[in-house]
Amino acid sequence: MKNNDQRSSIIWLVIGLAIAVYSGKYGLGSMSSPGPGFLPLISGLAIAGLALVVFFQQFFKPGREKIKDLWQHGKWPTVLMVLGALVLYTLLLNFLGFIFDTFLLIAFLLRVTEPMSWKKVLAGAFGAAAGSYVIFELWLQAQLPKGFLGF
Amino acid sequence: MDIFSSVLLGFQVALQPMNLFFCFIGVLIGTLVGVLPGLGPVAAMSLLLPSTFHISPVSAIIMLAGIYYGAMYGGSTTSILVNIPGEAASVVTCLDGYQMARKGRAGPALGIAAFGSFIAGTLSIVGLMFLAPPLAEGALKFGPPEYFSLMLLGLIILTFLAGGSMPKALIMAAFGLFLGLIGMDIMTATPRFNFGLYFLNDGVGLVPVVMGLFGISEVLLNVEAVIKQDVFKTRIKGLLPNLKDWKDSAWPIIRGSVIGFFLGILPGGGAVISSFVSYAVEKKISRHPEKFGTGVIEGVAGPESANNAATGGAFIPLFTLGIPSNAVTAMLLGALVIYGMQPGPMLISQHPDLFWGAVTSMYIGNIMLLVLNLPLIGLWVKILKIPYPVLFPLILLFCLIGVYSLNNNTGEIGLMLFFGVLGYVMKKFNYEAAPLVLALVLGPMMENALRQSLIMSNGGAGIFFTRPISLVIMLVVMTLLVLPLIPWVKKKREIVAEISEDE
Repeated sequence: MKNNDQRSSIIWLVIGLAIAVYSGKYGLGSMSSPGPGFLPLISGLAIAGLALVVFFQQFFKPGREKIKDLWQHGKWPTVLMVLGALVLYTLLLNFLGFIFDTFLLIAFLLRVTEPMSWKKVLAGAFGAAAGSYVIFELWLQAQLPKGFLGF
Repeated sequence: MDIFSSVLLGFQVALQPMNLFFCFIGVLIGTLVGVLPGLGPVAAMSLLLPSTFHISPVSAIIMLAGIYYGAMYGGSTTSILVNIPGEAASVVTCLDGYQMARKGRAGPALGIAAFGSFIAGTLSIVGLMFLAPPLAEGALKFGPPEYFSLMLLGLIILTFLAGGSMPKALIMAAFGLFLGLIGMDIMTATPRFNFGLYFLNDGVGLVPVVMGLFGISEVLLNVEAVIKQDVFKTRIKGLLPNLKDWKDSAWPIIRGSVIGFFLGILPGGGAVISSFVSYAVEKKISRHPEKFGTGVIEGVAGPESANNAATGGAFIPLFTLGIPSNAVTAMLLGALVIYGMQPGPMLISQHPDLFWGAVTSMYIGNIMLLVLNLPLIGLWVKILKIPYPVLFPLILLFCLIGVYSLNNNTGEIGLMLFFGVLGYVMKKFNYEAAPLVLALVLGPMMENALRQSLIMSNGGAGIFFTRPISLVIMLVVMTLLVLPLIPWVKKKREIVAEISEDE
């Protein structure tokens, strides 16, 4: 494979074809009365067709673009940890309740990129959890989840 | 109702204390998110959308619009002081603005950006006032085929202007269209592509998608890179540009306003591209083009005026046709629908208080911004000094709360995280998110228009090419699709893509 565009175009080709195939399931209707699957089919085919265009276009480009390792620089493990924390936060939100769950999340996030002192971390996490509770629950009247502790 | 009494009505609405307050909150938050790198107006608007359900639609729209043009003001501050554009539309401002700051002229640069934005913003509102009502009347003649063609045109223009690969931008548009079709089919009530998740029957929500693509993904990219903020150390003194600065900037501001306004009207056009065009024009007609990039004030005044004028222009297709032209107006359209308004040509006549109130509030908001920006620059600089490791947990927290409180559903947080990862990977592979968002909003409207057109014509696709207005639009669409293949245009587009990648 020549470059990153070719790689990504293959993924889009698969996605486009999958959409097109599944659209048939919902009924395509006829041209004079299009069914629920009609426009999804067209969008799927468009994605697949355009993906092919991107794929073959790369052969006609001057060869300066190569496959790049997009994750060689930077700290991608941090990204994974942040993401993991967010997923965990979402899963535990209804069980732990907003304040407690948020406290844990912020504490973790404050430690994850540049470890700060625990004193600052705990104060920051408490401040963020309490502050956002006051703003969103008490002032803007959002209904944040209560959790098993009741707050 | 003639225009004078309409404006009077508008001011009556906009000057109500409640609306003044929300206008102020809007421009304040807008400037703040404009200043903060990694949090833009789209994310901020989707964040505040749920909390606007408690206030009147007019106040809500006034506030949300304030965020939009406020962010354009704020974005310039970071470009000039830190060389980090707070908004994509301020990328060009970095070129000369930051150089001015390095020469000790940060004050006049910030000052002319604020004054230029004010003048351009005001001019574009005048344009909006005079152009929108007659256009809305013309739009009443539009049937489903015209609407379909026009929405298609909007998508195509956006992908054409996207910079970078047009086929890739079109893929994003097609994928966004598909996402817009997820959920219950309007005509047959068949649930489509819900992947067993029942909340998807209502469709893929705009807010989780936008927060994911613009909020979460941006944070992930920044956490990976850990941006170093290097705020300019010198004291900022003398914000007022001197007489020579004014003389140099007067025409660039006026030209920038005109360019911005008309590019803003184009569905799919907007602030980013108009700032680039304005910079290019100023450089071309300047008597000393070689000085551009070394800190000339025209290079700040033109683009900053253009991106503000574009915000006014962008409201025209929204208020007259009910068609959003970019991600921000797509958010506003979503908001209007939630408040139970029917966006379209009838909006101005059915809800004159909303339209004229919102428009006149922009005058007031522009004055507030001028007053706000000049003395508060010191405060914005302080905010810029907050280190990113402290800032990003808060941005994430706001996104989480914003999406959750929309429907009190953790499923939507999951959806946001999914789009966050998608946006992160897409940015790595150089795919643009804006066409996806616009297509997501247009999706259901386009499907409706397409089906109605085909039913009208008994299945003949020719209906898009036999009705005159639709035919003209379709010809423009085809021209835009073919243009990038022409070598001269191709080269121009590549240059623009390179500049925007350098940010």
